[in-house]
Amino acid sequence: MIIILASRWDSTAEAVAARWAHRSVEVMTPQDLCVSGWRQHLGACESDTSSSDVAVVQRRLLPQREITGVLTRLPWVTDGEVIEVAAHDRGYVATEMTAFLLFWLSRLKCPVLNRPTPTCLSGPYWRAEKWVHVAARAGIPVQAARRDTQSESAANALPPTTSVAVTVIGRHIFGDAHPELLAQSRRLSELAEVALLTVRFADAERGAAFLGADTFSSLDDERFKEAALEYLCKTPAANQ
Amino acid sequence: MTDPDTILLWGLPSDPPIAAVAEPLRRAGCPVILLDQDGVLDTEMTLNVARNVEGVLYLEDERLDLSMVKSVYLRPYDSRELPSVAGAAENGAALSHALAVQDMMLSWSELAPALVLNRPSHMAANNSKPYQALWLESLGFKIPPTLITTDPEAALQFWRRHGTVIYKSVSGVRSIVSRVSDAHTARFDDIASCPTQFQQYIEGTEYRIHVIGDTVIASEILSAADDYRYSAEPAKMLACELPGAVAARCRRVARSMKLSVAGLDCKRTRDGSWYCFEVNPSPGFTYFEQATGQPIADAIAQLLMAGPPALQWDPARRETPRLR
Repeated sequence: MIIILASRWDSTAEAVAARWAHRSVEVMTPQDLCVSGWRQHLGACESDTSSSDVAVVQRRLLPQREITGVLTRLPWVTDGEVIEVAAHDRGYVATEMTAFLLFWLSRLKCPVLNRPTPTCLSGPYWRAEKWVHVAARAGIPVQAARRDTQSESAANALPPTTSVAVTVIGRHIFGDAHPELLAQSRRLSELAEVALLTVRFADAERGAAFLGADTFSSLDDERFKEAALEYLCKTPAANQ
Repeated sequence: MTDPDTILLWGLPSDPPIAAVAEPLRRAGCPVILLDQDGVLDTEMTLNVARNVEGVLYLEDERLDLSMVKSVYLRPYDSRELPSVAGAAENGAALSHALAVQDMMLSWSELAPALVLNRPSHMAANNSKPYQALWLESLGFKIPPTLITTDPEAALQFWRRHGTVIYKSVSGVRSIVSRVSDAHTARFDDIASCPTQFQQYIEGTEYRIHVIGDTVIASEILSAADDYRYSAEPAKMLACELPGAVAARCRRVARSMKLSVAGLDCKRTRDGSWYCFEVNPSPGFTYFEQATGQPIADAIAQLLMAGPPALQWDPARRETPRLR
């Protein structure tokens, strides 16, 4: 079964699941962590019991060995995901759930798009400055990331609407841009160690400045959904 | 003009580890600047990043060119909890400014070519105890039998199977480690509302092991409490030497996690097995230093004075090793 880990408010997750309906696929949300049945073992003498690990998806128990791939659309669990919990406990519960999901996703042997890191459940959480710095060090022309506290409202501003987006999903690269920009996007996905990355350039021409990137994609394009499904259906070794 | 060997301390002057590290640095005549977090409303900052990382801090009466900073020791508190910010309106200018300074400092700390103790992203693994446990296990430490569950019946079975069991938070949020008792069973149904971590209680002697660069400083903790930090009877602490192989394993853990300073919470059983429960990336070491007289602050100060290693930090290098 393929799992789409998403916010309870993420309508795209449902759309992706519908598109993949010919496969066994379910959407998991933080609400599933509030259901009796999760069992995860680790440590000495528990390795023999790890085959009995159980997850919960759509309020139903699922033997963990039946999970064949996970698409992660949730960077972390926020208070807004656990509104059933008493208000003063929401922050703690959300933090506990994020910590649990980092552990759970990290040790899955199946393809996970993107694999979690301690800073984000879907790839690394890199600020704009880090993306720009890594790109520049890789020899990619960049638009410098500038911030100052006296005009902070401009910080993390979205790139100009005229920017060009390139999307990397597994072995596929999508974007109406010069091949050099596609290759640079691939290089950035390798440096960030992610299989799903959206990269933005100032324009589509050769030498265009890198503006920014993020480890999420709206997956609003049908080709993106197919590429993500292809990635999740491959063996882990094939995705290395 | 900023001194090119400036050592920056970021946190609260009253924070014991910050104060303890500042003292030997000043004694040695180092150019030290303390970025007092509580003065955040009088702090301005610029950040300009491309291939190089440039930044300037404007303090009340000082301009600090961040490219002149050789080393940084950071222990920032959540900006919302700072005395000068607490109570500020949620969407007000004061809180926005404090959060902006905090975020820009964190961003700079990730990328600065200086020695940073420790980079924020490297500290983040501490936010999940079982995630860290996977890591520690892969590096040779034993991990107690552990169950994380939302299933009350599974928790009950685990308790019966292992006899003495403790429970604690999954995240890095500080919680009191407690033994499960009959009194808890009445509340076991609450487990269904959030994954809860149960762990077999391991009998043995506790150790806090500080790794500072290549230096390992170990303290043995004598306490009968489940969690010595909250014991009514103060724990007794002794300076001690570790077996060479264990010290080497501790160094390997810290290096693997890219932590130049780390505090490992360990236990040695009667049969000589070593368990590690947690690696604290920003240890409150003064508690142990005061009890044992071990020179932990001095070791951190020495590391800061030495500055970054010859091999410069490369932000594109893997942030965390792949778990097996």
